Amino acid sequence: MLDERTAEALRAVRDEASRSGKRASFALHREDSHLMRIGNSSVSLSTSEKLTRLDVRVVEGRREGTHTHVGELSGPEQVRELLGVAVEKTAAAREKSFEPLLEEVEEPVDEQDQFDAGLAGLDPAHKTTVYGRVFETVGRDYVYSGAWSSGSIELFLISTSNDLEVYHRGTDQQFSVVLKHPGKEWELRSEGTGWRAADVTAEQASAELGGLTGLYESRPGRRIEPGSYTVIFGPSAIADLLQMAAFSGFHGRLYEEKRSWTASSTIGEVILGDNITITDDPEDDLTFRHRFDMGGRRRRCYPVVERGAISGFFYDLSTSAKFGRRPTGHDTRSPSLVMACGDGPGDPLVAVSSRKGPVLHVPALHYTNMPNVSEGTFTGSSRFNATLVEDGRTVCPLFSSRVTDDLPRLFRSVSVIAPEAVSVNLSNTYERRAPVAFSVPSYIVAEEVRITDCAESF
Amino acid sequence: MPVCDDAAAERISENLDRMRSRGAGYADARLFLEDLSENLLLYDGNLELNDTSDEKGLGVRVLYGGAWGFSATSDLEAIEECFDKALSNARTASKLVRLPIEMGDRPPHDSRYDSPVERDPFGVGLLEKLELLSAVDEMLERDWIERRLVRASCQKRRVLFRSTEGTTVEKNLTNVFGTMVVMAQDCDGQMQRRSHSLYTTGRGTRGWELIADRALFADHAPRIVEELSELRGAPVLKRDRRSVILLPGQGALQVHETIGHPLELDRILGYEISYAGGSHVALDDIGSLRYGSDRLNASSYGAHPNSPGTFGFDDDGTPERDYLLIDRGILVDVLSSRAMVREANRRAGREVIRESGGAARASAFYRAPIERMTNINVLPGDDGSLEDITGSTDNGVIMDNPTSWSIGSNREHFHFGCEIAWEVKGGRRRRVMRNPTYQGHTLEFYGSLDAVGDAGTWRLEQVDNCGKGEPNQVMQIGHGVPVMRFADVITGEKE
Ligand SMILES: [Zn+2]
Repeated sequence: MLDERTAEALRAVRDEASRSGKRASFALHREDSHLMRIGNSSVSLSTSEKLTRLDVRVVEGRREGTHTHVGELSGPEQVRELLGVAVEKTAAAREKSFEPLLEEVEEPVDEQDQFDAGLAGLDPAHKTTVYGRVFETVGRDYVYSGAWSSGSIELFLISTSNDLEVYHRGTDQQFSVVLKHPGKEWELRSEGTGWRAADVTAEQASAELGGLTGLYESRPGRRIEPGSYTVIFGPSAIADLLQMAAFSGFHGRLYEEKRSWTASSTIGEVILGDNITITDDPEDDLTFRHRFDMGGRRRRCYPVVERGAISGFFYDLSTSAKFGRRPTGHDTRSPSLVMACGDGPGDPLVAVSSRKGPVLHVPALHYTNMPNVSEGTFTGSSRFNATLVEDGRTVCPLFSSRVTDDLPRLFRSVSVIAPEAVSVNLSNTYERRAPVAFSVPSYIVAEEVRITDCAESF
Repeated sequence: MPVCDDAAAERISENLDRMRSRGAGYADARLFLEDLSENLLLYDGNLELNDTSDEKGLGVRVLYGGAWGFSATSDLEAIEECFDKALSNARTASKLVRLPIEMGDRPPHDSRYDSPVERDPFGVGLLEKLELLSAVDEMLERDWIERRLVRASCQKRRVLFRSTEGTTVEKNLTNVFGTMVVMAQDCDGQMQRRSHSLYTTGRGTRGWELIADRALFADHAPRIVEELSELRGAPVLKRDRRSVILLPGQGALQVHETIGHPLELDRILGYEISYAGGSHVALDDIGSLRYGSDRLNASSYGAHPNSPGTFGFDDDGTPERDYLLIDRGILVDVLSSRAMVREANRRAGREVIRESGGAARASAFYRAPIERMTNINVLPGDDGSLEDITGSTDNGVIMDNPTSWSIGSNREHFHFGCEIAWEVKGGRRRRVMRNPTYQGHTLEFYGSLDAVGDAGTWRLEQVDNCGKGEPNQVMQIGHGVPVMRFADVITGEKE
């Protein structure tokens, strides 16, 4: 559990608020983070951050206000002061046309099953050793970059709605190493993720990079003509597409406000291929498991798309309050999206061996965005490890190629899905540490994907 | 009001000395005595965001054995520990260093910068702020408008910087941002949007009075309502090659993504490859690369008093500078910090960059400084007003405000979506077009710059959401841009 002194301070002020008829929630976030950055085959930054954040939210009738404090909590007096700030803001706020919902812990949760003391206390020297080993194994002539973020978080939530508490403690890490050829400019990448220290190894990264250097060294890159192609998307690209699809298609607010590409569809309607099933499953060990959200809801496996048909939208507290819906446990920065695997062969090259003409293998997409959310139109360019495949064989590296297509069309044109799932880390480190990993098939094959531009370079 | 708390400042100085005696080549500390922010959002008239935050803490950077170590803490009882952690991080990092980082020597100085402010936004009551936002919201209300968003955000920071060189900088920084958005469904049931963000003239003060200036903010409400109304029944912009005239709302993004980011020296040197990407610019290009037509003049300009890209001194303690990045189409300088300039010159084998561009900035006490944009501007040209430029355009579109941006990893190519376009035929602005997009390759695109508006078309757009670095940092910057016209650009999407 959370250290008793802090927990007691929060409980004491919560109880006082309750007694005086106030409605308030107290959400604590603590992180102990380390990040090592590699640039030009050197450590360019080694940084540690130890931070405590407290969000105090007050709801009074149709008014609300939130105050966040970043800094240590000295005791109940300080928590009382922060509550005072939120109370004052709320009193001066305007009434909404609907009643906001206050955080309410549905059932107590004390989860620490994805906490690894080895990762929490990982010595930064271990990171220099692993990177050094990768450089040695794959070759000192290349230029290496990368980042390795690791750390732990604690989450604790209580509110005046009841006296139940939820607590989460977990560790996570996100690793990347990028190899660039100093003259030919191509870039290869290997990524790692997990909640245990042992989840990232030099051997795995070296094997992934080393497996591609031969092809990239021996064949020049190729520019392709814009047009429609069969594309093998790798895990990082799939996770990106899944994240975009979920945000722009299944977020309750966008749907209710007719801004999503699902706006004209209803629950039960088939909008994607019948081989597509997507859930938000906090029980999946390839994701970072958060069994409660910061609205206090218990998170369980939540179906989003079942065999192509819409089965649910994500409702957070504020959308639920505005549109009179039930919150679904999605006031979380750590969703656990899972795309179901299929029955394709294990090797993506086998899956496309009978195709006529070139097939693009795009493991990752760079800088994706959506020019038209209503249509689900997305755009992004290939980067890292992209190759051209012919007759089931990888023939050469692929220059930076832009994919501009529609998400619903793409997920209706998936012809093969890998049988095995992999974990892809999508955490960012903006503001507070919030680990995110999705479980996705190791590849999918999509037909007639629109390539709209191709550069003469990587 | 003195910016610093004397006891904490004293402890920082003692610890900086301690770092020196333990072998650090250089160290600095940024003590955030106060970092306040406020976010207010009226969403369909409902106050959906009524959030404030306060942050306080220390960030320490230590250079040891040619490597950086950084540590931050929100616990000001743990200052010594924070310094020790930064040193130990640097020691570990120094075990894997190819090209040791050097800061060089700089004479110490004792300086101070205060953003010019008439009304401290944190001294203005919530009621008054909401009154202003509500008045704008009322102007946006129509029965056919489905979504209205009116947002204000304010920031205020008191920072004390100290380095082992003996430099002390005190900074008081204030920013105010504002945005309004309206949305409605078009004839195809797709949601269209039109927005306006609070901009500045580059002159004057930057407190609450900025957003209260009707000409910069509220007066634009009727215009965006009118333009959204036209968008609803407008035809979709079809694929064609034509001239593209960018208004400052879109020109700012174009400059941000394809001049600002690729000219960050850390990207050029390869320090962002694993995340944000590299740059199509090489060190040897500085001084000779033709980046655009003769009409293209771009600068990093630190002297606009009321821009979020103006901060007096960067987080190396270097004074912000005014200098050209692109001179009549030729790349002449880049965005840089002290350590990167030394490395660039060593790697180039000659002096490609004379001095630091004063661009080392960190977004919070818990982030280490990296190369960031300041005010990255395109200078006004001689091609007159928007009407003059439109008048000399045979087949083109005028575009404004981004909806989507996707850029190649070396910033060599891009694809942008905009909120609105106006067709231009035979020198006349005709109908509104919806779902406009355009794409291009950076050097070819700027090479086709064939008209640059005069100072009357120039305005400073505020940016409050530029993301970069690992750990990620969101930074506030400015872009002063005139109206610009580019020839023969791919616009619209294939059917
Ligand atoms: Zn940016």
